[in-house]
Amino acid sequence: MAGYILRRLWQIVPTLAGVVLLIFFLFKLFGGDPAQILAGQIASQEQIDAIRRELGLDQPWYVQLGIFVREILTFDWGKSWITREQVSHIFLSRLPATLTITIPILLLEAALAIPTAMLVAYYRGTLLDRSVMAICVAAMSISFLVYIIVGQYVFGFHLGWFPVQGWSDSFWRNLFTYAPLPILLAALVGLAPQTRLYRSFFLDETKSDYVRTARAKGLSEPAILRKHVLRNALVPVVTNISLLIPGVFVGSFLLEIFFSIPGLGREIYLAVNRSDYPVIQAVTIYLSVLTMLINLAADVLYSFVDPRIQLR
Amino acid sequence: MAAVLDVTPENAWTALWRRLHQDRVGAVSLGIVAAYLVMILFAMAGWLAGGWSVEVGVPYANPSFLGERPNLEAALQKRSQRQGKVPDLRDIDPLAPRYDEWAKRTQELKSTEPERSLTLPWGGDRWGRDVLDKAIKGSQVSIAVGVVAALCATLIGTLLGALAGFYGRWVSDLLEWLYNVFTSIPAILLIFTLAAVLRSGPFASVFASGIWTVVIILAFTGWTGMYRLVRAEYMKHRSREYVLAAQAIGASAASRMFVHILPNVSHVILVQLSLLVVAFIKVEVVLSFLGLGVPIDMVSWGTMLAEAQNELIIGKWWQLAAATVFMAIFLTAFSMLTDSLRDALDPKLR
Amino acid sequence: MSAIVAVSNLRVSFVTRQRTLEAVRGVSFEVREDSTLALVGESGSGKTVSAMSILRLLPENAVVDPASRIEYRGENLLTAPAERLRSLRGRDISAVFQEPMSSLNPVLTVGEQVAEVLRLHRRLSVRQALERAAELLNEVGIPEPRARLRAYPHELSGGQQQRVMIAIAIANEPKLLIADEPTTALDVTVQRQVLELIARLRQRHRMSVLFISHDLGLVGELADDVVVMRDGIVRESGPVERIFHAPQDPYTRALLACRPRLDARPRRLPVIDDFMRGAPITDAPLSRPPAGEPLVQAKHLRKEFRLRTGLFRSKSLVAVGDVSFDVARGRTVGLVGESGSGKTTVAMLAMRLLDATGGEARLEGTDLLSLTPRQMMTYRRRIQIVFQNPYASLNPRRSIGRTVVEPMRIHGLGGNDAERVERARKLLERVGLPSDAMQRYPHEFSGGQRQRIAIARALAVEPEVLICDEPVSALDVSVQATVLNLLLDLQESLGLAYLFISHDLAVVKYMSDEVLVMRSGEVVERGTPEAIFRSPQHEYTRKLLDAIPRGIEGRHHQ
Repeated sequence: MAGYILRRLWQIVPTLAGVVLLIFFLFKLFGGDPAQILAGQIASQEQIDAIRRELGLDQPWYVQLGIFVREILTFDWGKSWITREQVSHIFLSRLPATLTITIPILLLEAALAIPTAMLVAYYRGTLLDRSVMAICVAAMSISFLVYIIVGQYVFGFHLGWFPVQGWSDSFWRNLFTYAPLPILLAALVGLAPQTRLYRSFFLDETKSDYVRTARAKGLSEPAILRKHVLRNALVPVVTNISLLIPGVFVGSFLLEIFFSIPGLGREIYLAVNRSDYPVIQAVTIYLSVLTMLINLAADVLYSFVDPRIQLR
Repeated sequence: MAAVLDVTPENAWTALWRRLHQDRVGAVSLGIVAAYLVMILFAMAGWLAGGWSVEVGVPYANPSFLGERPNLEAALQKRSQRQGKVPDLRDIDPLAPRYDEWAKRTQELKSTEPERSLTLPWGGDRWGRDVLDKAIKGSQVSIAVGVVAALCATLIGTLLGALAGFYGRWVSDLLEWLYNVFTSIPAILLIFTLAAVLRSGPFASVFASGIWTVVIILAFTGWTGMYRLVRAEYMKHRSREYVLAAQAIGASAASRMFVHILPNVSHVILVQLSLLVVAFIKVEVVLSFLGLGVPIDMVSWGTMLAEAQNELIIGKWWQLAAATVFMAIFLTAFSMLTDSLRDALDPKLR
Repeated sequence: MSAIVAVSNLRVSFVTRQRTLEAVRGVSFEVREDSTLALVGESGSGKTVSAMSILRLLPENAVVDPASRIEYRGENLLTAPAERLRSLRGRDISAVFQEPMSSLNPVLTVGEQVAEVLRLHRRLSVRQALERAAELLNEVGIPEPRARLRAYPHELSGGQQQRVMIAIAIANEPKLLIADEPTTALDVTVQRQVLELIARLRQRHRMSVLFISHDLGLVGELADDVVVMRDGIVRESGPVERIFHAPQDPYTRALLACRPRLDARPRRLPVIDDFMRGAPITDAPLSRPPAGEPLVQAKHLRKEFRLRTGLFRSKSLVAVGDVSFDVARGRTVGLVGESGSGKTTVAMLAMRLLDATGGEARLEGTDLLSLTPRQMMTYRRRIQIVFQNPYASLNPRRSIGRTVVEPMRIHGLGGNDAERVERARKLLERVGLPSDAMQRYPHEFSGGQRQRIAIARALAVEPEVLICDEPVSALDVSVQATVLNLLLDLQESLGLAYLFISHDLAVVKYMSDEVLVMRSGEVVERGTPEAIFRSPQHEYTRKLLDAIPRGIEGRHHQ
């Protein structure tokens, strides 16, 4: 196991190098001139040249790449071009708000989707199954935006059950006052696609030969579903959830924008609008590393769910 | 002779057609999608919703079926127009002698502007544009973005997936590395990064008009799923006996890849393409909503929703409803069609 | 002896959206107490559906005719409530299936799966159930049963997996065991052991066995009574001696005769049609051309596969160690071995569909393995291959015409397409396909017909050497004979050299002039078929020979 983890960590290096190169050249070749952006529209040529020198933009590209890599390795990204805030500070101060809503969403979705999927898989082919599936398809066809706009209007503005938007410094107040509406909206929206997906996992398993063996043993259908099918279907379910985990960092950007939650997703959106390159680059690269580490953790976890997988 | 060799690949497509027809849900979905396509073609030709940007009604014109509803906003604007007289600058303005000429010209222009109507079939937006026309034009843009981007992503994904799956070894290693690089960046960050780069970079002006920015963003970030799928299919097929048999009779690698294997994995590609269309339309809507999608002189379901957010608070719900309904019906029908397609193409269910 | 299960007038149909297919059309049979009844038939005969109807383990779209009856000790199982049926399943009647790997739950341990059926029908604690499970594993011949309780199915071999399935089936001392082709997915030598296990357990526990098989030879060694089925109806039933010594139905007679015999080598194998039409069966022996100059010479063929085990480490796996053989015009070299013996890899190496690690494959003196791909093109024409699975070897999206014409186009045979089409038509006629085959697609043909198409495609480039990689293994026995006859005809008229590969000793012996026995990539024995079968030298060859089912004669050996 330790050998496996070490090897996987080692394999991250070329991938990370690829990410760094991709981001560097994307901005280098297609991005705007940082000096121009930084100096603004009405800057003189001298001012622009000064900024150029300061950022090392007058150097050849490989020297710039070297500066870029040094920044990554030393966690020193300097400041946001617009707000002059330290990038590392942006990271650390915005992440808690994001996680306060994304982690409950992830848990709530799984807790609702797995039992619902199991239920409709059990009643497969019946009216219940078909109507739930039709509702899911219809629900998935409406943009997430509409759910937020209408949800915010109806439950926040019209009925006044929740605050329309806002955020505080207290974690508990946030979790129980400001977060519930966005969490519920997102969880309900995520329910439809996940139920549909997990139902197909359950149905795939019910067609297996070992289910026939279980029937031949004399097991009842609910027992077969609970004892045999669930354990096997959990393997793809866990895979799917592990694919969703990296989304906890920026996946909630729409909610944050709508509900004025000072999270990482909203910060990125603002940075894009302001062409604030250091923030975009730093967040992209560090979240990629986090994603890779989470994927590794998921693979290790995976070997506990599926005995056929051996980590070597 | 031609009758023997150039038989159209009957089974694949005519059988698919037959099976889709037997499936009632599939047939209805196909009908709806076809109706949308006709609507889009008409909109592109300008026969439908050509004047979506003309301000034909009063601001927030009521829908015809709600004609009696008070329209405070339109009334307010009218009053401000009436009261808002320009202060008299005749004495100091050197251009004063030309005032009369201008007044005359304005009079002429005013007379050609048609009377703004108080109601529109499905209401009007803030500038009095017809919401129904906007929804039709918006369908054209959103669906076009989704379809074109999905085709581009499919092309990239299929080509790379075929190469990696067929050749294996270092080709596969290299492309797997590329895949890992693209998938380890969270999708939304990659999209944002591209949006940031493309809107401020040297190509910003090139892509400023039209749908190409969004298409490039979606295709560049969305090819990975198709790649994975096609690669897996090619790995499975390349050692199938029919491919070995083709190799044994001397068929070239290119022929085996694209003439022998491709038709046999085309159903997988087709289904994934349909899924991509649905996913891309949803992303386009969000991007346009955020102002990172189609340019401001175009209308899409996303830009309609962006306006609708503020309208809802003052009780003008029709633009929201129009965009939502047009989008939901299309995506539901398209998803159902994809499901039917998957069933009809599934070799196990034959 | 009275009947434990009586099936009468069973009718089962499968309803799909497009059509209703009647799979079983009025089948009746009885399983007597303390005896073995075999249901024998080829694919599509309805034998499995009939047997699974007893436990009502049918696919969801199966519809059983209400007039059908299946009585278990006087109780009609078809109308019994689901509750009652569940209490019978696994306790009174249990089942073993064809694919042991997929029939066991992959994420549960062997112990959990055996204990589950025990605890379901008896009051046992977890500890007691596991204790009993270990005893059962011991009884079905799994070494170190206690340690194996904690193993997962994928950690066991195919034979052991099937033993676990049998342990689950006999755990509650059932009255009837339904065994649905329990050995078909296993290697021949393992097959023999599992069959003997079932026979031994049947005797010890005094239960009845309903044995389903496509192999009459296997059934003859095991069954007390035999029911022969075809196309959903019973063709003939009776005690095993009568079925073998005095078969009444022409279909039964055909099944008995169409397998190649070990003691004779007739010019032509009898086929079903001969019996159905009452055509005379000829016993004229096969005449073989003398061995001439070798056309193909394979020398020290070797293939290693590299498996990446670490970042920088890899280990090599030897698939083929050292294989040499010569084939002359008009002659056949047979290659026989079980799965994993490397026999198919040899075919791939000789065809250069895989690159060899070492050795030579000479065609009239030219080493194919050292040619550039461009040079190889002219030799590709002269050496062709027919694969095992006719369902996979034809491109499903191409008409038969295109499939057969393509090789001629690639190699520029025939002046123009019109000429090539004409040649393809003649070829298809030559291999015995209907004249309208050209425009049709593979899925419209049966397995045997598809194999004929594959042969026609190989012959399209007028090869001199044909490699047959298990060409009849995926086919029903009655169809096997027709394809073997065709191959012999073609060899005689075209003077083809064959490399004939199969796991089936009887087939290899019938076809070949020289036989190579392979095991784990090595040739363990070689010689004329007569010599190998009369006096096998290697122990493994003897084991393979013993594993061949011999029908009712095999019974007297035991």
